[in-house]
Amino acid sequence: MPETLSPERTAARLCELSADARAAVLLDAAGSLAGSSDSDRARARELGDLARRLFEEVDRATRDWNVEPPEQVEVQVPGGAVFASRTPRWTLAVVARRAALPSLMLWDLRAVLGELEGGPPIRRATAAEEGAPGPATEEVAAGELPVPELGADGPQGEAAAGR
Amino acid sequence: MREKRKGPISRAAGLAENVAATVRRMQREREPRVLVYDPSGYARLVQLEARGQAEAMEIAEEMVELVSRAEAQ
Repeated sequence: MPETLSPERTAARLCELSADARAAVLLDAAGSLAGSSDSDRARARELGDLARRLFEEVDRATRDWNVEPPEQVEVQVPGGAVFASRTPRWTLAVVARRAALPSLMLWDLRAVLGELEGGPPIRRATAAEEGAPGPATEEVAAGELPVPELGADGPQGEAAAGR
Repeated sequence: MREKRKGPISRAAGLAENVAATVRRMQREREPRVLVYDPSGYARLVQLEARGQAEAMEIAEEMVELVSRAEAQ
């Protein structure tokens, strides 16, 4: 059974998944530090405080916009980039390398937060020679597809086709 | 109608144009800026003169500096 991701492990998990992540912090709904990739507690708290203030400023900047509150933030600065993502319960922020691809970083943030909130764990791709746990059959491969196959026979497909 | 075949010089020029466009795009993506994304993933740029934009940039710079200092230790 896969291990559940704990808040304490979440920031480190993001840094494991993304080669471009340099340091990350997780805040709870109250804005308190819930986890950090940095073992230095004082530095982690400082980074967490800055991450909380970043969303406060972003909320201030977008308050008058007639849109939903932003869920993710990207700030590019000369020495690197900061990305942050939030759910009603958690805020995860990461300092990334300058070369980090924004779309990938934002995807990783969302995926790790999803895992923390009980979603399926993110799996690393495994090379064919490493071997899958079971026989390599079409059924096994189909079970690993992230989206249902289009045009598959089934009640929904039939309804959509007007059958 | 079939597309007219390009010669080697024309192909090389096309390739150079693509590389230049990619470099320009990458530079543009790394320009200092604040972008916010709504839940559907739609991105909006926070304008330079917008309230909070300078502060957000400052905070992000502090975060990067903090991590750079830690890495240098």
